[in-house]
Amino acid sequence: MKQFEHHDALSIEEAVALLSDYEGKAKIIAGGTDLLGALRDEVFLEYPEALINIKTIDGLDYIRSDEKGLAIGAMAGLADIVKSPVVKKEYQMLAEAAYSVATPQIRNMATIGGNLAQDVRCWFYRYPRRIGGPMVCLRKGGKFCSALAGDNRYHSIFGAAALSDISLDLGKVRKGCFAVGPSDIAVALIAMDASIVTTKRSLPAELFFKATALSSTVLDSDELVKEIEIPKLPMGAVQRYDKFTLRKPIDFAVVSVASMLTLNNGVCEDARIVLGAVAPEPVRARKAEQVMKGRIVDEDVALEAAEHALAGSSPLRMNEYKVEIAKVLVKHAIWG
Amino acid sequence: MTANKSDRVTRETAATRHVGFTVNGQYHEFRVGSGGIEISPTHTLSWTLREVLGLMGTKVSCDSGACGSCTVIMDGKAVLSCKVLTIECDGKTITTIEGLRDPKTGALDPIQQSFIDHTAFQCGYCTPGMIMTAKAFLNENPQPTEEEIKDALSGNFCRCISHYQVIRAVMSVVEKEGEHGR
Ligand SMILES: Cc1cc2nc3c(=O)[nH]c(=O)nc-3n(C[C@@H](O)[C@@H](O)[C@H](O)COP(=O)(O)OP(=O)(O)OC[C@H]3O[C@@H](n4cnc5c(N)ncnc54)[C@H](O)[C@@H]3O)c2cc1C
Ligand code: FES
Ligand code: FES
Repeated sequence: MKQFEHHDALSIEEAVALLSDYEGKAKIIAGGTDLLGALRDEVFLEYPEALINIKTIDGLDYIRSDEKGLAIGAMAGLADIVKSPVVKKEYQMLAEAAYSVATPQIRNMATIGGNLAQDVRCWFYRYPRRIGGPMVCLRKGGKFCSALAGDNRYHSIFGAAALSDISLDLGKVRKGCFAVGPSDIAVALIAMDASIVTTKRSLPAELFFKATALSSTVLDSDELVKEIEIPKLPMGAVQRYDKFTLRKPIDFAVVSVASMLTLNNGVCEDARIVLGAVAPEPVRARKAEQVMKGRIVDEDVALEAAEHALAGSSPLRMNEYKVEIAKVLVKHAIWG
Repeated sequence: MTANKSDRVTRETAATRHVGFTVNGQYHEFRVGSGGIEISPTHTLSWTLREVLGLMGTKVSCDSGACGSCTVIMDGKAVLSCKVLTIECDGKTITTIEGLRDPKTGALDPIQQSFIDHTAFQCGYCTPGMIMTAKAFLNENPQPTEEEIKDALSGNFCRCISHYQVIRAVMSVVEKEGEHGR
């Protein structure tokens, strides 16, 4: 790895101060499972001058539950989340999403904060610099997204993230980055209507993920995720996290679906359905949710919702199959 | 009063920073810097173990966190030494494959012996990682089911398809332990 300076932060305030001292040229290191790979392969447009270690901050790894819901510190480990009795019992979608991440060793090291803030996994972007030089994609100052011409089997089926965050109709943007949001936890948190608390604000998970071709979240360069808050789930809520991959351990999702259905005598009172790995950000299938409300859930409703969830998708040359997989997962989420 | 950058940076870098940790029962302390025997902030634990401490048993294969061959036990947990910065190991207790042998009698760990008895390897490159992962897992869960063993070892890849023998080797340790317990 190329040189960087290294600081152990002892408090959140110190970490934030260090980040602002470096004026955007320092990065937080939590578990390091994502960051160290990106540093080794030199994929960042600008190599960081310093790493700020936040493992040295005490008391950020809690998992606490009370009558309002669950609060998880940003440094809580994925393995601890999977093992937590209260998560397993009341928030099993989160346990399933966390368990689906990578491998046992990585879950021993990885944190939930790092999972939410991780960088995209597009194979053009992540191509190691030392093997024949970098692939200069849009994220690295190139003119267009390499996935447009190259192998795009794992890329977005819902359009690209624009270079800057000027909001454009995602379906039509061609000049943008087609990498998909990689985080499994993100998808589950949106389905559970969680909030993300940072050092600057608290906002619904849905608004935290905001993809541009330069970043995947709203985080400023001197902002940290502090806590994740999940409200107590409604009585009778049926939660589920499904992830389609080629190999079970290690692989990132080809498509994932997190769902929370509130049923009363078979009638759908509320539904939240979120698709992962189909777009630069997790996608909430609002139309699918709406068509279910007030109806008795059966196979036809599930099929109808699945069609709505994928309406408006615009697959690339090699990833039309993802549309079919996503439909099947949505259908499964609703009707077994 | 809030410290300014130079104060903060001085506290850590100029006041010669040290990193000290225990590997296989032996304490090592290094100065942080760029000299021959110093630890650079960019050094990974796998690099330090192999190139500085000469513990070649820990293998680096993918160097990307994706194969498990560099697994060591740190404070009781199986972690990937290629995804750990040495500078962040201050105060840690680390066990590598070289540290499994009984220090007094020299006897191999039952898992090591079982791998030999079951020929649970071909080229052997993935083997230290497999054994360290299994060791950490059995410490936590001495009587697992076969499914639980498969799950625990799901982050360890073998190019030579030794997986079947590996599962048998670990299961056999579990069965023997079970007999002793009875
Ligand atoms: C082989 C492999 C397979 C993987 N598979 C999956 C998978 O299937 N699903 C999945 O979701 N992920 C996967 N990952 C990504 C995995 O690294 C993340 O899931 C992990 O949770 C990242 O956490 P970390 O603590 O290691 O983050 P780090 O690597 O320490 O940090 C990641 C990024 O987040 C930033 N960051 C960290 N903490 C904070 C914070 N509190 N506030 C603000 N920014 C922060 C860092 O600056 C960095 O940019 C995989 C990784 C590998 C190597
Ligand atoms: S060498 Fe560390 S996981 Fe492959
Ligand atoms: S024995 Fe050769 S890689 Fe596993």
